[in-house]
Amino acid sequence: MSLAINRRQLILGIVGAGGAAAGGLAKSAVAMEHPAHPVAPPDAVGMLYDNAICTGCRACMTACSEANGLPPETAAGMPLETALAAGLWDIPADLNAQTKNIIKLYREPDGAGFCFVKRQCMHCLDPACVTGCPFGALNKGEWGAVTWNSSLCIGCRYCEVACPFDVPKFQWDKWNPKIVKCEFCFDQRLKKNQEPACTDVCPTGAVIFGKRADLLSKAKQRIADARDKYFENRVYGEYEAGGTQVLYLSNVAFEKIGLPKLGSTSLGHYATKVTSVIYKWLSGPLLVGAILGAVIKRNWNRHEAERPEHEKQTGLRDQL
Amino acid sequence: MSVHRTDTTGSTLVNHWQYGVPVYDEGLITPTLLFFAGLAALGLVLAAARFFSPLGPFSGMNDAYAWGIWKTFNVMTLTALGSGPLAVGMAAWVFNRKKLHVVMRTALVSGFLFYATGLVALGFDVGRPWNFWNVMLPWRWNAESAMLEISICMPVYCCFFLAVENLPMVLERIYYTGSDSTKAFLLRWAPRLRRIYPFMITGAYVLPLMHQSSLGGLLLLGGNKINPLWQTPCLPLLYLLAAALCGLGFVTFLLLMSSLRYSRPLDLGVLGELGNLLSWTCFLFLAVRFGDLIVRGQFHAAFAFDKMSLLFLLETTLILVPAIALRRRVVCETPRRLLNMAVLACLGGLLFRFIPTTIAYMPARKASYFPALPELLMSVGYIALGITAFGLAVKYFAVLPGEIKDWNYMFRLVRARRQAVARKGAEPWPASLSTR
Amino acid sequence: MIGSLIDSASALETVDERLMRCGVSRRSFLQFCSSLMIAAPFGLAITDKKTPEEVAAALGKVIRPPVIWLHFQDCTGCTETLLRPSHPDLGDLILNVISLEYHETLMAGSGRQAEEALAQAVDRYSGKYVCVVEGSIPTRDKGVYMKLAGRPAMEVLADVAGKSAAVIAIGSCASWGGIPSADPDPTGAVGVADLLPNKAIVNLPGCPPNPYTLLGVVLQYADNGTLPELDDQRRPKFAYDRDIHEQCPRRAHFDAGRFVKQFGDAGHREGWCLYEMGCKGPDTHAGCSTRHFNEIPDVWPIGIGAPCIGCTEKSIAFRVPMFKVVQIHTRVTPPETYPPINAPQGKVSPLATGLVGLGAGALAGAGYVASRKFSDVPDDDSVPGSAPPADAETPEVGAGPGAGPKASS
Repeated sequence: MSLAINRRQLILGIVGAGGAAAGGLAKSAVAMEHPAHPVAPPDAVGMLYDNAICTGCRACMTACSEANGLPPETAAGMPLETALAAGLWDIPADLNAQTKNIIKLYREPDGAGFCFVKRQCMHCLDPACVTGCPFGALNKGEWGAVTWNSSLCIGCRYCEVACPFDVPKFQWDKWNPKIVKCEFCFDQRLKKNQEPACTDVCPTGAVIFGKRADLLSKAKQRIADARDKYFENRVYGEYEAGGTQVLYLSNVAFEKIGLPKLGSTSLGHYATKVTSVIYKWLSGPLLVGAILGAVIKRNWNRHEAERPEHEKQTGLRDQL
Repeated sequence: MSVHRTDTTGSTLVNHWQYGVPVYDEGLITPTLLFFAGLAALGLVLAAARFFSPLGPFSGMNDAYAWGIWKTFNVMTLTALGSGPLAVGMAAWVFNRKKLHVVMRTALVSGFLFYATGLVALGFDVGRPWNFWNVMLPWRWNAESAMLEISICMPVYCCFFLAVENLPMVLERIYYTGSDSTKAFLLRWAPRLRRIYPFMITGAYVLPLMHQSSLGGLLLLGGNKINPLWQTPCLPLLYLLAAALCGLGFVTFLLLMSSLRYSRPLDLGVLGELGNLLSWTCFLFLAVRFGDLIVRGQFHAAFAFDKMSLLFLLETTLILVPAIALRRRVVCETPRRLLNMAVLACLGGLLFRFIPTTIAYMPARKASYFPALPELLMSVGYIALGITAFGLAVKYFAVLPGEIKDWNYMFRLVRARRQAVARKGAEPWPASLSTR
Repeated sequence: MIGSLIDSASALETVDERLMRCGVSRRSFLQFCSSLMIAAPFGLAITDKKTPEEVAAALGKVIRPPVIWLHFQDCTGCTETLLRPSHPDLGDLILNVISLEYHETLMAGSGRQAEEALAQAVDRYSGKYVCVVEGSIPTRDKGVYMKLAGRPAMEVLADVAGKSAAVIAIGSCASWGGIPSADPDPTGAVGVADLLPNKAIVNLPGCPPNPYTLLGVVLQYADNGTLPELDDQRRPKFAYDRDIHEQCPRRAHFDAGRFVKQFGDAGHREGWCLYEMGCKGPDTHAGCSTRHFNEIPDVWPIGIGAPCIGCTEKSIAFRVPMFKVVQIHTRVTPPETYPPINAPQGKVSPLATGLVGLGAGALAGAGYVASRKFSDVPDDDSVPGSAPPADAETPEVGAGPGAGPKASS
């Protein structure tokens, strides 16, 4: 008895399907490179935050909430009415699903000094969240802003695991949950040629907006003008995680204000070093499949050759 | 005098395990089955409820620990136990250990159930499942994402390759309990199935090689959040080896426990082979593990005797002890010792796969995670679902290896069919059946 | 009222005696005492009292200190501010509390009578009086630009202030030079402390300062002979240790980023923050934002919609343009309502933990029990859970239809 399609056609069919899949993947695979040291796109914008200037007024938090239509946050799950009655208003403990931008306070352990830090998405040059997102819901687009697309996201939360700065937040309490994070006010302001709300409203100029290259040189100028005022005389975000578009100048150690110690290569580079070679054009799986297939086919043929013998011995059909 | 050592034919007809035989001598519904079915029902009811609710109330996950036990345990950890088809299959079909063919079905059923329940867990874990249709549009795929690789590879593996591999067992039952026309239909199509079977097997090994390593690859993007004792570019390879050793260990464990439960004799020739393979796989795993630690300069951290170091030493000991012990044939062929070693190896492998996802994962210093009660019940429910299904499968299908003398072509009939047979009052099939 | 002032110049009486003589009602006096408690509470021993009655009792025993008030390059605004309020008649009350020996604006006499009054007062109360200086002192060209009875201001100051027990430089002009010292400073105007650095001087800058500040200083001195704690610019800390910005009623608008962009715009009408209009509040130390002026709430520059010009600060007033925005340097100690760098996250359900513990324990126990059922004898193929055979037998090979190969021993 013969199959409706013969064996050769079947093999070709499978290889063809594999090739089509590889081709479909290749388009997206080639588009994304992960050099060891990413280069900023030419139109990359950014923010420079200098905590020596920041007075902790939190106008940026209010402006961000307003520009992004975010609801006020009450302390740790307290209902809004209770919080307002208790006089607690809009004090999120950290970035969360209602807070895209936050000012945190660092106190020296001996209580003598303190300083503030503004935390939001860092808009990395080679974002780990973008590398991990299965359908590209998080995407690095125009001006280098990393934005989230609700029609592609499946809510797997890999971005939360991948981000070295713990930025993306998930709406755990919504049935239609979104991933919430700073997007440089992309839809609300960047597209209308306005700067993001936080940098616009900052009264002291602690956080400013501009082209990443300009901000970097401005930051370095500040360092040069005031030697040893800023920690390690360097800008955080110039190389961290491959470089970020939000840059920090701080007069205390970066780790003290919650900016993690990171190497200068992006996580995407680290994670795809090996797989980008093995899976290029699906060559690895196809090669392994070919080798295994050959060995298995040979063993199978031997098994089939021995089958009549076995069936005679047992009197039963061979079980697969 | 033991016969096993001198048996060099590699024949599957060794001692007691000669053929897959269904479990006859027990009623279908037992208290144990009801217990697990009850747990499964509870888990599934909660899962259904979760589907119509936000994720927050049902789980203890938070933004610091965005992955809970559904992902980290049911999928990333338990599918290692479900890698029996991969490990045992490759040993049988690629490395030509013919003795293992007789236990393939057990491995396949357990593997299928682990994967299926893992996929159910995954399905109820994602927050926006309605967007999953994007998987059908290849131009929207992010090819570098390990998550994407898993979301495509695991369902394809489970629902296609593993399903096809399990098909002969199902068709066998249909054949022996079916009408003449059914038999004729199957006899016509069986050879075609046989012809594509080798390709199915090949796919059934290539795909798990890909996604079991991708499960480890998921953690690469965790970066510094994962303790350096576990964070390594070798994570995919180590996860794959852990899957192999867990697969072997679990199949050993399952065979021993099933024999206990269903009062079947053992076959230490086969079990000894599994133990032997398990030992080598454990050694291979440990070689890669320690080689990696030394190359990365983290060897000293393993002996720092802080919390992470102690966990590492625990997981290593759990794998090292079986590796060494199972080199001794007397351990491989003593049922109790083999069971203990298999369990230790499985625990070690599971611990290795679970630790970097949750315990050695440190996003922010003050964050903590523990599964909430509904989350726990759902996870246990999924596992119970698998156990229940296995308990039913071994009675409906010829899964567990047994002796040919116990085979009587009699498959447990569903009640309607039984009544039809009783009404007809005749044997459903001739007592002697030509195999052609 | 002026007549009784001159009458009383001869005797040093207590405040109580004086008030009785002048017919100031007890009620007015108590009102004055309660205002005192609010307006000048810090660093004053005298107001360490709980009720106006107690203040009245303590105040009543204070011997009225003699005060000689000098005017140099001034606009008399500081005197005006002292006398401005009329409900109660603050000026009257202040003048009942202190014994004002010489004051060019208020005294009846002039010319030679005035010169004599000054000389007499200096003589009679030498070493005991408080010298209040209003207006800056010219120093250029030997100080000819202001002369009092033919003598340059520098000389008068050295003479009168030199013999005083303490000097109070009231107003920015006397504190550091004020308006006359603004560019191009043709007269070389300086403050008292620049000429008499070794004297006990209390600077009360402001244009004008709050009258209660003066009163607080004078009363403390009268009560126990001490001056209040001063900062490094000799300003009393109780009035000048905080800047306007800290206590500004419009601070909430600053915090929320609501700024007036143009005088008369909607924000201005709403009373929004004037920082972007050049308000110097963040850099200006004064108590205006709490005490306001004329004892009417919101009667102070920012309250009426005009940005603070920093009139107390030497580096700002009359030097930095009124509408130039200042950098904010001083950062107040933040309250606890800022989130810490690492906030706790995640909760652990004790019930779930307990269940997991129970489950793990149960599994371990079951596993142990199950493993005991297995034979510990090597090569034992028998059914687990059954009694192990005495020795290892040759296992039977299943006999089904068709013989299987016999396993050979």
